[in-house]
Amino acid sequence: MKISMNWVKEYVELPKDLSIEKIAYDLTMATVEVEKWDNIVTQFDKITVGVVLKLDKHPNADKLTLCQVDIGGEVKEIVCGGTNLREGMKVAVSQPGAMVRWHGEGDLIEIKKSKVRGVESFGMICASSEIGLFELFPYNDADGEATILDLTDFTTATAGTNIATALGLDDVILEVDNKSLTNRPDLWGHYGIARELSAFYGVPMKAIDPIFAPSAPALDITIVEPKKSPRYIGLKIEGLNVKPAPFGLQARLWSVGLRPINAIVDITNYVMLATGQPTHAFDSDKISGHITVRPANQGEKLLLLDNQELTLTADDLVIADDEGAVGLAGVMGGKRDSVLPETDKIILEIANFDAIGIRRTASRYDARTDAAARYEKAIDPQRADDALALSLNLFSEIYPQNKITGYKDNYPQPLERKKITVSLKWLESRLGKQLPNDDIARTLGLLGFETSFEGDHLHAIAPSWRSTGDISIPDDIMEELARMHGYENFEAAPITTSFSHAINQTDPDRNIREYLALRCGMQEVYTYPWLKDDIIAAILGDTGDKLNLFSLSAPPAPDEKYLRPSLLPNLCKAVVGNVRYYNEFAIFESAQVFLPGDLVSKYDKREALPIQQRRIAGAFVGGADSVDALFRKAKGVLEAMPRLTHIESLSFNQNDKVAKPHWADETVWLSIKGTENIGTLALLSKKAALAVGIKNHAVLLFELNLDALSPLASRENKFSHLPAFPISDYDISLLFDEGVKWQDITASIKKGELIRSVSYVGEYRGKQIPEGKKSITIRLKIVSSEKTLNSSEIENCANAVIKRLCKQLNAETREK
Amino acid sequence: MKEKLDAILKNGTEKIAAVANLAALQEIKSALIGKTGEITEILKQVPKLDPAIRPEIGKAANQIKQQLSALIDSRTEEIQLKASEISPDFDFTVPGILPPMGGLHPITQMCYDLNDAFRSMGFEIFQEDDISSELYCFDNLNFPAEHPARESMDTYWLAGHDAESGGRRLCLRPHLTGASVRYMQTHKPPYRFVYPGRAYRNEATDARHERAFFQYEALIVDHDFKFASGMIMIKTILSKVFGRDVPIRMRVGFFPFVEPGFEIDMGCLVCDQKGCSVCKQVGWIEVMPGGSPHPNVLRAASLDPADFTGFYVNIGLDRLVMMRYGIDDVRLLRSGDLRFLEQFR
Repeated sequence: MKISMNWVKEYVELPKDLSIEKIAYDLTMATVEVEKWDNIVTQFDKITVGVVLKLDKHPNADKLTLCQVDIGGEVKEIVCGGTNLREGMKVAVSQPGAMVRWHGEGDLIEIKKSKVRGVESFGMICASSEIGLFELFPYNDADGEATILDLTDFTTATAGTNIATALGLDDVILEVDNKSLTNRPDLWGHYGIARELSAFYGVPMKAIDPIFAPSAPALDITIVEPKKSPRYIGLKIEGLNVKPAPFGLQARLWSVGLRPINAIVDITNYVMLATGQPTHAFDSDKISGHITVRPANQGEKLLLLDNQELTLTADDLVIADDEGAVGLAGVMGGKRDSVLPETDKIILEIANFDAIGIRRTASRYDARTDAAARYEKAIDPQRADDALALSLNLFSEIYPQNKITGYKDNYPQPLERKKITVSLKWLESRLGKQLPNDDIARTLGLLGFETSFEGDHLHAIAPSWRSTGDISIPDDIMEELARMHGYENFEAAPITTSFSHAINQTDPDRNIREYLALRCGMQEVYTYPWLKDDIIAAILGDTGDKLNLFSLSAPPAPDEKYLRPSLLPNLCKAVVGNVRYYNEFAIFESAQVFLPGDLVSKYDKREALPIQQRRIAGAFVGGADSVDALFRKAKGVLEAMPRLTHIESLSFNQNDKVAKPHWADETVWLSIKGTENIGTLALLSKKAALAVGIKNHAVLLFELNLDALSPLASRENKFSHLPAFPISDYDISLLFDEGVKWQDITASIKKGELIRSVSYVGEYRGKQIPEGKKSITIRLKIVSSEKTLNSSEIENCANAVIKRLCKQLNAETREK
Repeated sequence: MKEKLDAILKNGTEKIAAVANLAALQEIKSALIGKTGEITEILKQVPKLDPAIRPEIGKAANQIKQQLSALIDSRTEEIQLKASEISPDFDFTVPGILPPMGGLHPITQMCYDLNDAFRSMGFEIFQEDDISSELYCFDNLNFPAEHPARESMDTYWLAGHDAESGGRRLCLRPHLTGASVRYMQTHKPPYRFVYPGRAYRNEATDARHERAFFQYEALIVDHDFKFASGMIMIKTILSKVFGRDVPIRMRVGFFPFVEPGFEIDMGCLVCDQKGCSVCKQVGWIEVMPGGSPHPNVLRAASLDPADFTGFYVNIGLDRLVMMRYGIDDVRLLRSGDLRFLEQFR
């Protein structure tokens, strides 16, 4: 919203030495965010009044004129194409450096001295549209080239005067953020802002037009639902005609961004911008019978002022006559009764409507009008009095011959001002300082509150304009005092809360993420919780609907409505995005998934939520031939994880009790078990990989239920004595059938008195190895707790192992 | 003769100290105390000297010989220890072998930075679920029944629950604030906790707007809490994020769930508050809302507003991460693009 400082100053006498910077800052800190401020004069820099002294034909062009123009102290020659120029005329001259819009179109460009058809021209004589004044000085296409702005009748300023100054437009305009005004319906007009400034600087408001009820015959107005329309003033005014409003009034509207239309409409807009109370004028000749404010009939048609035809619902409120709806209450007038050039009598509506209903109607028809914006903030019905007084005054001024021939003020239940009692002790503890009662009374008084004190208690009565919801509890009074005192004037006091218990948080999430990222070389990614339909099918093997996934009512895209039951689909999508740039990488994500099934009341009996699980999922990506290496890497990461992140240990197996996930390869998959089954480690199947668009890479995926990982209460490492005798490493390489698993080998070896550990060194297939066999190298750590073993004792021990493997697993020695 | 000896000693000592390699030292050794060395020559002449000075010169020559010999030995050792066995062509500019390189998402990094700071002040860390209800996202938080945020144009409501209300109308939470009530309902006051997490809002995306974002909230609730103490929480967040003290100011702001409510601005770090395009020439940037929990919010958590009050701040980490690194497109944060994420390792 734009605020004119000149307008504000009509209502409040501000201290002389107060700068606009200070006003903008104070408003921003204590009331409403001022986004910027500008003096109108600066928009017209180097655009000045010129007086045309002499006109000559351009030597080289029939349609151009050479003008000798007094630009203030000197006379310059300017080439101009306008046909309405005459000697003695006052014009707007854009001097070099001024910014103008050629023929009122396109971007602003800078005026430079230039030659026009061989003659040097100093600047430009402008049309109103070229310097942003079209709304104040409109012209028609029919005017052709006779559109040079003629200021002769509009200013007495001498040549050289800035055009804005010459037209009385010298004003500072504040732009305030409407969002920060949502809770302050009283500030949607200049009067409200003036009142706020009066309170800041302790200066009184000027007297405004006295409030009185005109004496005239009663108008026939019925309000069907007073709750939806708490007040409705109708005023019939005759003896009018449609003409432009006085220039000063037009300029006011223009300066805050409104287009002047005609005197009648301009008065209603002026009253709204002054008081914050919307008013509406309609042609009383077009009204048949009496006026009713009523809910619309379901399906009732209404043609609006802007030619939009609405089909209304019973939730909308209309102004109607005997024939039907003539206007959408509080939002927009209708076409049928609009003010037209022949209008000479009107009904002026100054009404109050229920905020919620107006907001619903305005959003239903996307009709965000200035009136609706104000009504939906809940303005107080009392201010209709100010609007009435100002309207009467303006109509008398502009139409001295006008007659009030009808009047009705329907206000069955006057607004009750909010009464609030505040404990002074409470106030002091919240503010962190004691304010003297006198200060409290003065500050609140300037804001329109009535106050009285009784022991520890302050009784405050809010002004009517703050009594529609804005002020309702003691905390609101505290806020009024704090903001007026200045938030900057409260010291940042130390936080003094003391706690009795140590904070012992055991969520393993952070340890695991840091382990994967910082130790295992994986990169954390964030993805969205919604899934594309095609990726659901590719990874989860069915449609979101069949899988019973939760979905959004208004999703980001029609094919992205389902919410993830697993992190893997979007993780695969991230893999697809990266294989273009990287051949090998590893990524992971930690986030929540939403499990299909019944809703549960996890926190609150009144609530039923899906089962939501935190998961952590990872993807290891490499060339298509790197499955073995990726598998061992991924498995190693998960095998080491419990020890390095202090959680209960995990085991890995493939058994019939757990179903293989759809996306997993038939062979390379393992379910992961803690105290229960908590996830899967597997190769992304060829089918799923192709379905998501991965052709030349192998992808090893895992996903774990993070909520099921139990953190250790403390470290569980076990100490054992250092070996008293030397440990010998002894490697043996044997040929095994391809079908033999490492797990079979370790089971067969069995650790014993001499064999401390058995570890996997590697496996080999190649020329020397027969088809269907593999060579596995096994490392034994051999040690005795009683003596240093000699080489034959070590050899015997190893040979026993070899013998057992040959016998039990059909192993063969390489030398054979 | 005596003078000559002194000169040999002085000269020899200097030469030994100056020599840099063993071969040269060997040469010096021969020249001084070798078979035809200077000292050796003098010693050879001693028997021919006047008996009156003979013992004195002999003694002095021998002493000097021993002195020089000792110097040469210690210098030999010195040179030997200093020498490298590695060729001087060793290329010390080859890169090192890096450990596996991964990284946390830049938002996670900032979240952990803040967690560390708040935990050092005794705050607990709390998490709630992504899907919540109208009851917790709006009703408990003093949002009026007709508040626009309750509509589907702002909030992602779950399908199939549109006709429901309260605890049965479900949504992807549009903010974290609802979690505060869940925490307070299940813990004993006073409270001091943070609750980071994801939130979602139905809006059109562009370089500055996202549908999914990451918020960080902190709340203190206690008896007799002065709202100005909230400044400490704000300063903690911002100085942690930007690595230095950041000027802040609290100004009036309106949010249904706080009373009084604040908009919290930080001094523009781009221009040091002189005014630039980033701060729209005002020197301040709006970074977070804050305020004291509205009495109705405390009531929803079964607390007596006459007894308890507090301070809350909510900050969008996406925006802070963007400011910290100068990222110009918020959508990169959820792109999963390693070329982007790698930069924050």
